[in-house]
Amino acid sequence: MRLPLLIAAATLAFAGQAAAREFSWAATTDPQTMDPHAVNSAPVLGFLNNVYEGLVRRGRDMRIEPALATSWEPIGAGEGWRFVLRRGVTFHDGSPFDATDVVFSYERASGETSDTRSWFAPVSEVIRVDDYTVDILTSAPNPIFPDSIANWMIMDSDWAAANNTTAPDKERGTFASLNTNGTGPFRVTLREPGLRTVLEPFGEWWDSAGHNLTRAEFTPIRNPATAVAALLSGDIDFINPVPVQDAARLAASPDVNVIRGTEARVIMLGFAHAASALKYSDDVTDANPFADARVREAVALSISVNAILETTMRGSAEAAGQLVSPAMRGYSRTLDPRPGYDPDRARALLAEAGYPEGFSFGFKCPNDRYLNDESVCQAITAMLARTGLRASLDAMPVQNYWPELRAGNFDMYLLGWSPGTFDAEHPLRFLVATPDDDKKLGSWNFGGFSNTEADTLLPLIRSELDETKRQAMLDITASVVRSETAYVPLYVQPLIWGVARHIDLTQRPDDFFMLRWVTVN
Amino acid sequence: MAELSSQTPEKVVERSRLRVAIDSDFAWQFRKSPVAIVSAVVVTIMVLAAIFAPLIAPYDPFDPGSLNLMNGFSRPMTPNAFTQEVFWLGTDDQGRDVFSTILYGMRISLFVGAAAVLFAMVLGITLGLLAGYAGGWTETIIMRVADVQLTFPAILVAMLIFGIAKGITPVEYRDQMAIWVLIIAIGLSDWVQFARVVRGATLVEKNKEYVQAARLIGRGSGAIMLRHILPNVLSPVLVIATISLALAIIAEATLSFLGVGAPPTQPSLGTLIRIGQGFLFSGEWWILLFPALTLLTLALSVNLLGDWLRDALNPRLR
Amino acid sequence: MLAYVIQRVFQSAIVLLVVGLVAFSMFRFVGDPVDNMLGQERTQADIERLRTTLGLDQPFPVQYYKFLTNAAQGNFGVSYRQGRPVSDILMERAPATLELAAVSGFLAITIGIGLGVFTAIRRNGFAANAIMSISLIGVSLPTFLIGILLIYLFSVELGWLPSFGRGETVDVGGWSTGFLTSSGLQALILPSITLGLYQMTLIMRLVRSEMLEVLRQDYIRFARARGLRERAVNFRHALKNTLVPVITVTGLQLGSIIAFAIITETVFQWPGVGLLFINAIQFVDIPVMAAYLMLISVMFVGINLIVDLLYFAIDPRLRADRTAAH
Repeated sequence: MRLPLLIAAATLAFAGQAAAREFSWAATTDPQTMDPHAVNSAPVLGFLNNVYEGLVRRGRDMRIEPALATSWEPIGAGEGWRFVLRRGVTFHDGSPFDATDVVFSYERASGETSDTRSWFAPVSEVIRVDDYTVDILTSAPNPIFPDSIANWMIMDSDWAAANNTTAPDKERGTFASLNTNGTGPFRVTLREPGLRTVLEPFGEWWDSAGHNLTRAEFTPIRNPATAVAALLSGDIDFINPVPVQDAARLAASPDVNVIRGTEARVIMLGFAHAASALKYSDDVTDANPFADARVREAVALSISVNAILETTMRGSAEAAGQLVSPAMRGYSRTLDPRPGYDPDRARALLAEAGYPEGFSFGFKCPNDRYLNDESVCQAITAMLARTGLRASLDAMPVQNYWPELRAGNFDMYLLGWSPGTFDAEHPLRFLVATPDDDKKLGSWNFGGFSNTEADTLLPLIRSELDETKRQAMLDITASVVRSETAYVPLYVQPLIWGVARHIDLTQRPDDFFMLRWVTVN
Repeated sequence: MAELSSQTPEKVVERSRLRVAIDSDFAWQFRKSPVAIVSAVVVTIMVLAAIFAPLIAPYDPFDPGSLNLMNGFSRPMTPNAFTQEVFWLGTDDQGRDVFSTILYGMRISLFVGAAAVLFAMVLGITLGLLAGYAGGWTETIIMRVADVQLTFPAILVAMLIFGIAKGITPVEYRDQMAIWVLIIAIGLSDWVQFARVVRGATLVEKNKEYVQAARLIGRGSGAIMLRHILPNVLSPVLVIATISLALAIIAEATLSFLGVGAPPTQPSLGTLIRIGQGFLFSGEWWILLFPALTLLTLALSVNLLGDWLRDALNPRLR
Repeated sequence: MLAYVIQRVFQSAIVLLVVGLVAFSMFRFVGDPVDNMLGQERTQADIERLRTTLGLDQPFPVQYYKFLTNAAQGNFGVSYRQGRPVSDILMERAPATLELAAVSGFLAITIGIGLGVFTAIRRNGFAANAIMSISLIGVSLPTFLIGILLIYLFSVELGWLPSFGRGETVDVGGWSTGFLTSSGLQALILPSITLGLYQMTLIMRLVRSEMLEVLRQDYIRFARARGLRERAVNFRHALKNTLVPVITVTGLQLGSIIAFAIITETVFQWPGVGLLFINAIQFVDIPVMAAYLMLISVMFVGINLIVDLLYFAIDPRLRADRTAAH
């Protein structure tokens, strides 16, 4: 038949491709929009960082460095920040960049329909001083403001007005959901949502190009096994993430490198602190054992994180003792490492709390959100069973998971948290603060953990300009979270990227992939 | 079948017909066909293994306390790190004995398959008899629904039903309900074949003299349908049931693979294959291979048996 | 005749309404799209506002009515995930699925009929028996497993064929085709085999049993007795008479190919409507899911209607039967 002929043609085609400086990569999700202000999620922001730019950007080591602003300084005693803008920058369509675009982008990104407006909660006003100077005023001193806006991307005001997209619309979409006009190193030349997105270098980019690409193509591949097969067969140059179980096999392949790192995301267990009784128990229906810190500590002591890391995560993750990873700003160095595996002590604590025989409860877990989330939950269930903590595991897709958590349908649950600001204050605000809708506090604190000391310190931490004093307060809150076992931090989610051997690239801890650091050899 | 046919004296004609078939021709056919014998033996062994899984399986995969994560990914024939018992077919990512999970998985696959076919059979026979015997608009409605459903692929129908059921059951019962929902979903997508055959046969039988006679002596419609017409359609029903069983087992596996079937807390063979697929490239082939082979063997044997049964009961094709 | 046609069209319309209701209610309960549309730092107020703009706070019948009236005008709304009209997305994805289905259908029919005839003629031969047994393995292996094994063997181990996607496509008047490039053709091989295998076995077994049936008919015996060559008997007389039921069944199976494409497209990441549907389920993109199911229903009901009307037109006995039944 014709099969051998086709196969011969295939071999030839692959041989031909190697010479071109084209690059193709795949990830599990397609960025759901090309609008930088419509959806605040890592796949969107990570992708668009190649196309749009902010006033500041993060370097290979996550440090903030100048981008569209060349310098910045605080105004007065914490009234805000003054940014000096870069001159001679143009957007992809050739129009020049100036302060008007910054003010416009602030209005667009902080507007009613924007998903990024919470970033601008501390901002009271943005003032155009002259064409290349902008003042951003904050209602309270905000020492980490420049750190918090690296993903705030600047859009051309004239382009937005001409295409009727002065405000994002995540329901119906706008011109900007499919089209882009940034100042970044790459421009989108073809966008087929869910199928592929093609980018080409922007010749007029203000910075010197660190890459040597002529064209880059992105394909979303949902099934990780398919992605691994595509990388192994040479159809794709780079995949992210690599399933942990396939890392060894990929590393052994002569054509593929595996790059490992730790992500900013900490995987942890949360509890129904505020509930009056367990929701899913066969034996304890009139009390909530998890309201007792000793029971929560018993959970922490019953889990052998090392066994999970060794087997389920195949040695590619690191144990976590706090709500943020050691790479984050504000991580508490004074706190001891996480308590080890001690089932005897766990049993003693349970007996002390009045549950010598343990109890049964419901454990909720996502099955498509974090690396190996369901396997980890199964392993935890087995470990807890040995100290008498009989969890009935209910794993579900993330689309059902958040509504369940928000409705309080859990006794214990699994959560991963990546601080958007790369700062230890972030999880305090979202996970530790007593829930308060008006103040936008504790919006992900599903279990209703509440601690007066942490609540008092949070606003002070947010406005403290002195690095040492701030850290001292963060150390206190970290130890409160630890001694109360508000959460049980398990490990820092690993980053595992699979890269064809002839490609050089840089892995950043926030899992953002920057085309400007890719070279094809 | 025996109970159905042993109740009334009028039955003698039917009964002896069946007897004759079983005693002579049928059995002779069976003895003559090595394929039939082998597949019948394989199916019997697998069914018995599934039924007695709790006695045979060296481990209980549903008892989380018995697992040890440090046994995870043991290769076939390696010993348990704590008890020195041997994992014949290795362990999966949680340190569960693959042999035990296959036994329990087969149990669920077979149960879902058999229950779904039974459900489809009862539904199909009832509706088929009703359509054939009652005629009129009853028949029109039933057969129209059947026609429409026949054009929809079973897997899509099952997905739809599964989706609805999932929507209306409270989350905490979803896992317990999943198996029953699967059974109903697969059963509902599979009744048409039975209904069509039964209706056809009913149309033929209802005008025969003995049925007319029974009607004359005042037997009720229900009794006539059950005692007179039903036994005559049993052999095609048996063939369809066997082939449907194989299809149901595969449908269950496919649904579980797509993630809309048996939950991981009650893994069927399909769930095990879905889990195992993730370890194919990493070299832990046994987590995928053994459940897949079991599924193949099971479906193949049932199919071969059904194939043979069809030929044996349909002498024209011999 | 006209009354019958009207009656059948009416029945089909009711079927569509019911399927639409079922599909729509299914999606309404599967999950909450709002959570997928908002980022990590959302607040409860954001969620409420989005629910209102999407109309998710309205009673279910109102939502269904709106959906139906819009769908009747070919307007399936805007995809929650992509922010584009669903009809545009479906049009974009349809060529991929239709091309895959066409190639699979072609493989299934040609190879299926060929093997069916062969196994019927040589029905006691070793090769025929071997083919029959292998075909049973094909029926006993779930499609997804076949796909995975093919990828493992031909893409990963041997590296001969691409493991996913459509390869390069060429746009011909709004229709993106993979037929015109070598990478597009290579990409078709594994998925179309995976998708077509089941239908192929089905057609093969059907042709075989129909052939066996026909071959024992009197006129075939007569033809043989007249001394016609075996070839002529087999192909000119027997096969021709087999084809009517085969064509009918194949027509009905066409729909199944498109539906089964969901599985194949998932395994091979084939960018067609099936993959779109599965991804839409993942993200609770209700408009896309509802539109896909309505489209599939229209297709199936349409095929069914056409087959029925054809029967009615062709077979006078059926006509008598139908009228007698009423």
